[in-house]
Amino acid sequence: MASSTMTTNQLVTRGVGRSILLTLPMVLWTLLMFTPGLRQPGAEKHAAAAVTGVFMVGLFYCMMRTGQTYRWRRIFFVALGFLFPVGFIAALVAVRGSMSIPIEHMVSGDTPFCYMVIPMLIVPAALTQTLVFPGSILPTPSNPHSIAAMIGLWLAMTLVLGKGWCAYGCFFGGIEEGFAAIPKRARLRKLNDRYRLIPWAVLLTIVLLSAAIFEPVYCMWLCPFKAVTEFPAVRDVETAIQFGVFVLLFTGLVVVLPFLTKKRTQCGFFCPFGAFQSIFNKINIFDIRFDREKCTDCRVCVVNCPTMAINAEAVGKGEARMSCMKCGACVDGCRKGAAVWHIKGTAVGANPERARLLFLYGAWAMATMFGGSVIAHGISTILHFVLKG
Amino acid sequence: MNWQGISEALLLGLATGPVCLATCGPVVTPWMLAQPGGILRQGRQLGLFLTARLAGYLAFAVAAWLVGSAVPRAWEGRGWPLALVDLLLAAAMAAWAMGWPRRKCGTQAEGALVQIGQPLGSQKASAQKVSALSLGFLTGINFCPPFLAAGIRAAQCNHLGAALVFFTAFFFGTVVWFVPMAALGLVRRTSAVLAVARMTALLLALWYAGMGVLILAGEGLHG
Repeated sequence: MASSTMTTNQLVTRGVGRSILLTLPMVLWTLLMFTPGLRQPGAEKHAAAAVTGVFMVGLFYCMMRTGQTYRWRRIFFVALGFLFPVGFIAALVAVRGSMSIPIEHMVSGDTPFCYMVIPMLIVPAALTQTLVFPGSILPTPSNPHSIAAMIGLWLAMTLVLGKGWCAYGCFFGGIEEGFAAIPKRARLRKLNDRYRLIPWAVLLTIVLLSAAIFEPVYCMWLCPFKAVTEFPAVRDVETAIQFGVFVLLFTGLVVVLPFLTKKRTQCGFFCPFGAFQSIFNKINIFDIRFDREKCTDCRVCVVNCPTMAINAEAVGKGEARMSCMKCGACVDGCRKGAAVWHIKGTAVGANPERARLLFLYGAWAMATMFGGSVIAHGISTILHFVLKG
Repeated sequence: MNWQGISEALLLGLATGPVCLATCGPVVTPWMLAQPGGILRQGRQLGLFLTARLAGYLAFAVAAWLVGSAVPRAWEGRGWPLALVDLLLAAAMAAWAMGWPRRKCGTQAEGALVQIGQPLGSQKASAQKVSALSLGFLTGINFCPPFLAAGIRAAQCNHLGAALVFFTAFFFGTVVWFVPMAALGLVRRTSAVLAVARMTALLLALWYAGMGVLILAGEGLHG
């Protein structure tokens, strides 16, 4: 790379021309994604599509120019996290008049499909051919977004990115990442390493219980993000407890603990879907490795990792744990260039920038398609309220 | 009971076995994952669990036949027996997950949560049997739709022996679906697997306790 240079922390920086050249494919992809938005009626929708397109392309350009990943990804991810509830709640209120949904409406399929449900579908479907989420496997005239299509989309993304989904695709994680970014230093630093196993226990629990009682237990009882999306209407003691659990989990895991620990505590210490995604890291070709010859065991990567996917043992072994979501925080922070992007089957440190680029094209394409549309919807909603009240 | 009745019970068990497996899965899966590995060893533990489950079935069969179909029908509409079983299951699972037998035996002095994930090698064989028998029996009397259907059918039998045979045949029909669970013995018992199994058991204990309390609260509110 003739016009590429190395920064003090060993990241590859590029000139303007080369960065633009590398961004061009993403410009085309973004145009493809947001042109339909420009055709929709409404000035606020046009503006939202244009702003989002520029936002996504701009961030990708910065990634190419500076060689940094985490810093720019975080801007997108936090925007996604905070704008998703805006658009979602506005749509709910417009359609139903409330964020709460009566249980009979939920059962009749009047609730959107969320990827969190996927692990809970498997066992009941295999044992009893029962779908424990309201909706249909195949598209129907009234509901063209079939569960099969959603699962297919998720599977394709997951095979390409592994647990990268949690850093580039999840529309919930940005909220806690935003709160984790506020303090300069963590106030709660000593975290038991075993906490990282809790998501696996939650995953096993919800998979087993969903099969036992034929309902998506996580959605009904444990999802912290119900507090900022939709929840069963409070009618009795049971639904009041459900609501209380949602609020408690959201406040604790998404707001307070990220602020105190500077970690994504919901993702790292609770989210069963994150644990489920970790399994796919095993078959994904991208991972993060540590060049033992360059590593000085300074532990900056351990501190920087938002989900405790890196500890001293992992650094010693030369690879991040399977719960690594490839956010790039460790690579960006490593002053010796020991933490590197890597393609399985190749030598560690052989061409980490190529590995990063290959991963980022896939990840950012998904981020633009999936998260970009959510961001555009959120911006459009805000503009609608500002301009039309 | 004639062969027709036995085959009916067997087929009922076979047909509804997946539901039984799904119902008992939350109890038996983490419990087995936290036991020492090996298919044969897991098979023995599973056998013990299922034997206790059969005992639970037969106890219910006796009750169902003695009082006639009034028991399952009356219990179907009332929550307190369900709540009682849920609370007992919660207590048994929590006690086992927290390592209560070990502390009782005096082999470990630390708090149970600190022990989570430690190998169960130090746990006495008798303690493992107690957990197998208690959890097996409690799942045996836990109500699930197939179990209630079998209960009503057993209550219609002419004599106690027929009711017991009916439930035994029903049990063996369901057991077929449990056999593959011995394959959990193939999962490598790392400290992480053991910790996850015990954490899961604790979460499930909380779930069963919550359900039991909610049912009782509902009974209190609605009579």
